[in-house]
Formats: sequence, C-alpha cells, structure tokens
Amino acid sequence: MAKGRHWVALWLVAFLVTTWLVYARQTAAIRAARELADLRARRANLDGHRADLERRIRAAESRAVLVPRAQARLGLHLPSDSEIVLVPAPSGSR
Amino acid sequence: MARPAVRIQVVQFGVLVGLALLVGRAAQVQILHGRRWAEEAQAQRTERIVLQARRGALYDRHGTPLAVTQETYHVGIAPNELRDPAADGALISRRLGLTARTWQQALRRRYAYFAGPYSALEVQPLRSVRGVHLESVLNRFYPDPAVARATIGRLGDEGLGASGLERTLDSLLSGRSGAAVVLKDRAGREYESPARVIAPPVAGLDVVLTLDAELQEIAQRALDDALRRMDADGGDVVMLDPGTGEVLALASRQRDGSARPSAFTDTFEPGSLAKIFAAAALLSLRRVSPTDHVSGEGGKWRVLGRTITDEDPQPSLTLADAIRVSSNIAIAKFAARLTPAEQYATLRDFGFGAFTGIEFPAEATGRLRPPSEWTRPSAASLAMGYELSVTPIQVAMAYGALANDGLLLQPTLIREIRSAGGGVRYRHRPEPVRRVVSREVAVALRNLLRGVVERGTGTEAALTNFPVAAKTGTARRVVNGRYAAGEYTASFAALFPADQPQLVLVVKIDNPHKGSYFAAQTAAPVTRSMLEQALAARTVALDRARLSTAAPRAAAAPADDEGGLVPYVVPWPYQPDSAGVGPRRAVPDVAGLGMREAVRTLHRRGFRVALRGWGVTEHTWPAGGDSAAAGSMVTLFADPHAADRVRSRGAAPPRRGPRR
Repeated sequence: MAKGRHWVALWLVAFLVTTWLVYARQTAAIRAARELADLRARRANLDGHRADLERRIRAAESRAVLVPRAQARLGLHLPSDSEIVLVPAPSGSR
Repeated sequence: MARPAVRIQVVQFGVLVGLALLVGRAAQVQILHGRRWAEEAQAQRTERIVLQARRGALYDRHGTPLAVTQETYHVGIAPNELRDPAADGALISRRLGLTARTWQQALRRRYAYFAGPYSALEVQPLRSVRGVHLESVLNRFYPDPAVARATIGRLGDEGLGASGLERTLDSLLSGRSGAAVVLKDRAGREYESPARVIAPPVAGLDVVLTLDAELQEIAQRALDDALRRMDADGGDVVMLDPGTGEVLALASRQRDGSARPSAFTDTFEPGSLAKIFAAAALLSLRRVSPTDHVSGEGGKWRVLGRTITDEDPQPSLTLADAIRVSSNIAIAKFAARLTPAEQYATLRDFGFGAFTGIEFPAEATGRLRPPSEWTRPSAASLAMGYELSVTPIQVAMAYGALANDGLLLQPTLIREIRSAGGGVRYRHRPEPVRRVVSREVAVALRNLLRGVVERGTGTEAALTNFPVAAKTGTARRVVNGRYAAGEYTASFAALFPADQPQLVLVVKIDNPHKGSYFAAQTAAPVTRSMLEQALAARTVALDRARLSTAAPRAAAAPADDEGGLVPYVVPWPYQPDSAGVGPRRAVPDVAGLGMREAVRTLHRRGFRVALRGWGVTEHTWPAGGDSAAAGSMVTLFADPHAADRVRSRGAAPPRRGPRR
C-alpha cells in the first residue's frame, strides 16, 4: 500500500514540475514578446525622432531659409561667378 | 422492487450505454468531423494578418532622401478602459491635436478611432495609457514636400503610386507583402505573443534618382522668383548632364502656384531656339560656308505671301550672324537651301515629334508634321521655330546632343536601383539614341551659340569667367488655335561651359506680363542667376576640376576689370597644366574601411567627399566601381555597425586598403 502512495506522489510531483515548466516557459515567452514590442516601439520612436530632426535640418539649411538670413544678419550676398574661387586638386593627389 | 444485483446490472448497463454514446460522439467529432471542427477552432483562436512591406525609398543623386517610408499609427480609444478619463483625455487631446468638442464626442462612443496617421513621436507618451490602442501602419513621407513634387509624384489611397515616378516605379518600390498568424482570445483581441510568420514581407527596392536636390532647389527658387517678378503665367526649368542624359533638375510652376509636370507634358513653339537645328542641317549637308552672306532686307522681307521681320535689322548676315542676332530673315533664306525632307529629317533626328523615352508616366511628343503636310511657307516657319511644337525636355535633349559632340542620348531620371540590403541591381549607363551631327559640326554649332552670349541676343546670360553657349527664343503663343496678340513664350537654352559642356539648361517663361517679353531680358538673366548659384553651391554635380580650366576669358581679362574681386582660380600648387581635363574614373570600393581611410582613398582618387554618419564605411554614392568625374562629390555613408553588414553581404571583413 505504501509503495502505491509513493508512485502517486511521484506522478503528482512529475505533473507539478511539468505544469510549472509550461507555465514558466509561457511566462518567459510573454515577457520576451513584451520586451520585443517595447524595443520595436522605441526603435519606431527613434526613427520618428531622427526623421523629424532630418526634416528640420533640411528645412534650416535650405536656401529659402539660409539665403535671407545670411543676407540680413551677415551682410552676405550670392556671389557672382567672378567671386567664385575654384581650387583644382593637385595632380599628385589624383 | 427488483433485487440489488439486477439494479446494479441496470446501472452498469446504463453507464455502459452512456460511455458508448460518449465514445461514439467523440469519434464522430474527432474522426468524422475532425477536420471541420479543427478549422473552426483555428479560425476562432487565430487570425491571419498581412505584414506590410516597406516601400522603397527615393533618393537624390547624393543620397538625400526625397521619399521614405516610415511607421505611423492609427489610434483607437476605448473610453470605458481609461483609468483617469480627465487626465488621460487631456494627454490624448494634446498629443493627437483634438479639440475639446471632438474629445467629448469621442468619450460618448464605445470606441473612438482616429486615423491620423500620427508619428511615433506623437504617440510615444500614449503607449502606456490604458485604453489607448495603437495600430501601426507604414506611411509615405516626403522630407521636403516642395522638392520636385510633380516629378516624384504621390501615392493614391490604396498606397500605390498614383502619379510621377511613384507611379512609374511602383512595381519596383512596392515590394511584396508578407503574412503571419497571431493568436486571439474569445473577444477577438490579439494575445500578447509573437506572431507565427508564414511569409516574411519583402521590402521594395530603393531608387537613386538623377536629380540633384540642391540644383533642384536652385531651379525652383529661380523660377518662382522669375514668375513673380515678371507676372508670368507659368514656366519650366530643365537641367541635365549632356554627357549621360541624366536629368539633374526639373522645375515647373503655374501662375496659381500648382506644379504639374509641364516640362514633359506641355508643348510650345520654340521660336528662335530652333534656328540652331536649321543651322545644323545646313552645316552637315555643306549648304553654307562661313563666308556666305544673305541680305538683311532692311529688317522686313515679304516672301510667299507673308512678311518676315527682324528685331535687329542687319544689312548683310552670315549664318553665324543669323544665329547671333537671331535673324528670322537670314535663317529663312539659308533654310531655302534645304529640301523639305532634309529639314524634316534633321528635326526628327534631334528628337522632335517623338517621345524621348524618359521614365515618366506621361509625356507629349509635340508636333512635327511630315513634308507631305507642309504648306509653302512651312520651310521658313520651321527654320524660325514655328509650325513645330516641342516640350522643354525635348529641347534640353536636342541641345544636349550639341553639347555631347553630336550624339543624342536618351534622358533618364533613374541613376541606380538598390536592394534593401544595399546591393546595386541596376546602374544607369548613357544610352545613345543616334548620332545627329558629326563632332566637327557640333563644335561649329557650339561656337555659333557662344557668339550669341558674347555678342548677340544672349549677353544677359554671360558670366565673367566662364564661357556660355546659348540661344534665345521668343515665340508668339497659340491660344485656342490662333496666335494671341501680345502673348509670348520666352525661352532660353544654354550649354555650360561652352567648351565640353557639363550642364544644359532650358528656361521657359510663359507669357510674361511685366517688363520685356523678350527672352534676352527674361529667361537669359534667370539662367545666369542659376549658373552662379550652381557654381557657388557645395554639392552640385559639376566637375570643378574641368571647370577650373574652362575659363580662358578670365585668363585673358585685365586684372583690374573687377577691382578688388578675387581671381577666379587659384592653382595649388601652381602647375600650368595641372587641371588638365581628366576622363571619368572609377570610384574605389571603400565599403568596410574606417572613415578616415575611406576619405583618404577617395581624395587620392581625386574625388571630393561628403560624409553621412560615422563609424565604418557602409557604401558610397556613386557606388564603388561606378564612374564619376574627377573632382565630383562622392557621398560616404558610414555606420558603427556597417562592418557586420558588409561581412554579412559576403564582403571582406574590415580592412585597411581599398579594393580597386
């Protein structure tokens, strides 16, 4: 009779261990899925941030913005071709 | 009352029957109808979702993004799930830009949906708010929407290309959607678990256009300024590289501010712009010598029942004079030496009356009637640029043939096609259409055009240090099939520099109302302004090594001509022939090199370098192995993790020397 109880106890423990393993595995998977979703969200956020910054940089360095500011604040003007210096690359550097 | 044994047997029998029924039913469900129930269960707890493919990006020739795809969001709000409707509502309204009234209306609904689309930045603070459900969706984004809008085009509601290059390149850009299966609960909500991917999405190909964003901006601004100043109905600017047929800038604008692609679709009579093509036929067929003169007829000549007039009457003109002062009388007289078939064939060879073959969904052929449909004055009219309608892109390609020593090329807007991993799938090579005139004739024609800018109608386009070859054209406009009184199209076609041209510019101004309507005073100064800006620009696709030798006028000019101004060129170190014209050369493959080493390598090969990012070199534009003019700009893209990607593409590990 005692031998039978041991078997029952053994099966019960095996069942509990298996159940716990399934539970732990699923918990870990859900945690990983959440982390993955968080990382994706962060990446999307950073991508959006980068795109926003790039757009602002391009707008800020566009001629429509730069030329009037350079003329008004620094007294610069668009150069005529006679004011443009082209420095040819030394032949040895080619 | 039955005996206990009998009762037990009855119970046992009942249990047995019950068990048998249970087993039978189980067999029916599991075996006979198993497939159907399994499918139903599968459908109830799983959902097949479409994984959107990233649409390929469009870049300018230096790698500046013109159209990219980004993750954006639709936002759903379940008011009954909000923990603190007042505080959450304030946050949601602020992030989504909702008015108080809209928010109150949303609260009264069971589920409010805001399509947006909202950027990741806008929805970031909402991610942790209970009751807010974000649905990600890939969306097209134009970093600078004003740049080449008509050329690039837009997407339709279905996310497919609806106009412009977005439409032409749709099959390349759109990629292939994938599919995945997700688990869902009884209420149909997705479980927070990874999806089972059935087919991964395949991203679309990236396309590098031939457009130069900086030249494009120069062209657009110059055109806008000109239209405003002249109170004109509209206009177009085309810039292209005559050596490759690559279109560098395309600007079109109408009076109402709209920008339809009229450089491809709208035709006009080119007027005097076409005189050079009559000259091309005359020189090719040797029907005229440099010393041949015709009478200027005092500026008024009656022939075949019509009167031809000149704005600048001359007593006697050579062919060079006819082009220089744009004499209608002289070119009509010279063109009489050609047969209609010869005149027609020359115009046809230059590409008029036919599609150019550019990758744009809509293009007009213009009109060039065959000689069988001509009337008696048609030959003279065609020589003067009437009875012929052309598009600005056709004019640019025809002048490009003159710049390219007589070889007509097919124009293109596509420079490279790349896979999402960066591999080059296609790279444009110049595609000759036909030889239109011999090299000698092309040189002679360029000299005629040079005379226009130096001493003729195009002096307003002249630069101090760089020779320009060009032709003016002022033509009456056709409205409702008749020439409208007082309405003109002013146009200007220029080759820069006059020797070995690197740039062809065509400027067209429709019906200028303020000031002069002549191209010499309208379109020519716009051309000069654009050329000056292009010369001063940092990244514009000009070969400055060649340009620095293309300034004999400056060398010959007296030093005190421009008091106090800096000389145009400083050879460094001084070598009389140091800036000799070099051929196009191969861009070294520097992928995988550190930035410093990559920049050194590119400098040693004679290229200028623009840096994007930092770390290890990932790729360059133009790509390694492609050819580019010495002195031109190579954009170097670097990334701290590029070494891994370069390795994964099968390239060598980070290294210290370039591949040649």
